[in-house]
Amino acid sequence: MIDIINLSILIGSGLLVLSILTSLLSFRFGAPLLLIFLAVGLAAGEDGPGRLMFDNAQAAYLIGSVALAVILYESGLGTRLSAFRSAGPPAIALATVGVVVTMTMVALAARYLFGFSWINAFLVGAIVSSTDAAAVFFLLRVGGITLRDRVRSTLEIESGSNDPIAIFLTIGLVELAVSGESEPFAVAMVFVQQMGIGAVAGLAGGMLAVVALSRLRMDAGLHAVSSLAMALFLFSLTAVIGGSGFLAVYLAGLCVGNRRIPGGQTLQRFHQGLAWLAQIVMFVTLGLLATPSQFPAIAPTALGLAVVLVLVARPLAVWLSLLPFRFSRAEVTFIAWVGLRGAVSILLAIVPILADLPGSRDLFNIAFLVVLMSLLVQGWTIRPLARGLRLIVPPRAGPVDRVDLELPGKADYELVAYRVHEQSLAARGGRLERWARPSLLVREGHVRPLHGAGALQPGDLVYLFAPAARIPLLDRLFGAAREHAAEDRAFFGDLALRPDIRVYALAELYGLPLVAGAADDTLADLFHQRFGSGLEVGDRLSLGGVDLIVRDIEEGRILEVGVDLDPATAPSRRIPVFQSPAEILRGLAGVVGRVRFRIWQMRERRRERRVNAAAISSLTSNAPDPVVERRASGDGRTATPGDGGSELERTGRE
Amino acid sequence: MIDLLTPKSIIPNLRANSKKQALQELARRAAELTGQHERAVFDVLLERERLGTTGVGHGIAIPHGKLPGIDRVQGLFARLERPIDFDAIDEQPVDLIFVLLAPEQAGADHLKALARVSRMLRDAQTCEKLRGADNADALFALLTHTESIRAA
Repeated sequence: MIDIINLSILIGSGLLVLSILTSLLSFRFGAPLLLIFLAVGLAAGEDGPGRLMFDNAQAAYLIGSVALAVILYESGLGTRLSAFRSAGPPAIALATVGVVVTMTMVALAARYLFGFSWINAFLVGAIVSSTDAAAVFFLLRVGGITLRDRVRSTLEIESGSNDPIAIFLTIGLVELAVSGESEPFAVAMVFVQQMGIGAVAGLAGGMLAVVALSRLRMDAGLHAVSSLAMALFLFSLTAVIGGSGFLAVYLAGLCVGNRRIPGGQTLQRFHQGLAWLAQIVMFVTLGLLATPSQFPAIAPTALGLAVVLVLVARPLAVWLSLLPFRFSRAEVTFIAWVGLRGAVSILLAIVPILADLPGSRDLFNIAFLVVLMSLLVQGWTIRPLARGLRLIVPPRAGPVDRVDLELPGKADYELVAYRVHEQSLAARGGRLERWARPSLLVREGHVRPLHGAGALQPGDLVYLFAPAARIPLLDRLFGAAREHAAEDRAFFGDLALRPDIRVYALAELYGLPLVAGAADDTLADLFHQRFGSGLEVGDRLSLGGVDLIVRDIEEGRILEVGVDLDPATAPSRRIPVFQSPAEILRGLAGVVGRVRFRIWQMRERRRERRVNAAAISSLTSNAPDPVVERRASGDGRTATPGDGGSELERTGRE
Repeated sequence: MIDLLTPKSIIPNLRANSKKQALQELARRAAELTGQHERAVFDVLLERERLGTTGVGHGIAIPHGKLPGIDRVQGLFARLERPIDFDAIDEQPVDLIFVLLAPEQAGADHLKALARVSRMLRDAQTCEKLRGADNADALFALLTHTESIRAA
């Protein structure tokens, strides 16, 4: 007996070690990490070299649910409320409308293309309707890429909040299939109840957890563990009283993560580690559960559904959900493409097996293959796509060697340690402002008195107390100055301007056309009016022939504005799909303008011809050449109505 | 570039220790070229720097402004003997400076000229050649030639 236990621990830990080691490969090749965990599970499973027989769907579902709760809690912990403010509404639209549209489209395809029964068609749709952000962010992090804020937050919050909805839909459909009766009203009521209780329990539980974590004096080692225990308790309790436990833990995580709690950093790190563990365990388990020898039979169906999902259902769902929000085409395209499917879909595919529905094995295998294909195809193309669509924010600073130290108790200041980089401003003898003076200086392993140490030298270790908001500035001071690549200039523009310049001053300097209304506004005002609270670095306004760009923001205030002198040369790809209402209107206005201009031109020409004819008939050979004259007047006018540059035109984030 | 520059508007080795000194020196040379008052040119350039730096990065600066009294957009190119701190956007010292002065009623021409200069100096190869050129004639040839190739 003991032998068997030891053996199973050996197998479990062996798989874990193997997964972690192979994940190093992923860093090298940029392959979607989760794919590797899945592959480890498959390889260890019954059809792989591991030959492990694991067919316990119930155990797999249990493990998966707990793991998912842990992951969602961590995802909530890591989401900033500020991100929620700008990206919350679109993300929630994606998580609700988006999920339903995706499900319906996939269901229609399954029903009419592959002859599924209605219930199974909708089940397949619901199962594959939720997205997994972990895969996306891992890939972006490996590439050292910073995505535009709003896009990243939207994807992140979407993937956190669509899981509860997809879970509800799947479980509801399975219950419907088992009982065989449906009452739309009752289903809606259950939905409201699940989400309502989940939301209330999550927020209340989150508040309580904050109080407990900051008030109770417990052993430091127990601090993070108690947070995990509370999260799991909340998850199960909410589920027992009829709410959505997944929604509850996500919201609780959001509450806890956005409060200053003593030991908050340690807590975050602990949960990050746990989330990794949960991901690995979940994927390996699901890989084990699958039976690859059954795959070939359903592969064509799965492929077809994956194509429909990736190319039709997701883009349509994203476009519809984001219609009311101001997203550029590039952003919509990116969000549509990176709807990666992940563990949640496979986990949900277990539910029909648990209920012993007819065809449930096929559903599971199909879901498994769809996830595999999504991870492979979409996962590998994220980075080039983000680059191509110009959604990447070039980093403002070079490499920084910074360590954040945690201060005991509640403090508004943070203690940070920097190793002075040899190409940093500080090492080049830049003057340090008062707030940037180090509190402690360590040179060659010895603490040096600050007086008499002279200028900072490369390799010095400096410790400073600074408010969190100042840290990016300190990064620039002590980190390496960064070479600006040519593409950065396309992103940030050529010239710099102060944000408090008035529009008329700029217009006068460069001879830009403008409308009277905006003349007295500052550049910052223009941006705030146009983008509101969603304003972020890289946002553009077009003003006459140039683009104004937000170069730098601190706490919602614009610090610097860039000018792109010829935005036409900026490498932007225009995607004909994904029109926003504003773009459609603009397009229509453009057409109307052009047509009216043509009509005016024709009338003008006719009039001229008449005048010329009269002139020719009345005058002799000295008459001016009518052709030349008409050309001149025509050319002089073409520029104005056609390109719409005659007024202050505000285009979106192209 | 040929319409912005003359061989006289090239300074192959300008000596300056600071941004202010460089602008003063450039204003002096621009004043000679345009026949305007030195102080007026300096004020125009300084006024523009107050709105935000014209150091566009990679060691290049394009100070510019509107100067009443001139009749067309005029340029002045200077290569510095020693790079100076120019508050450039990438915080790197500057050694190539292209001054652009536009008449009061320049309208869009000002911006067009600025875009042209900026586009030309965005090219790393061109800048390397400018840094390696021997004398004013070579610089002038480079500045005027590059553009005609581009345009072709």
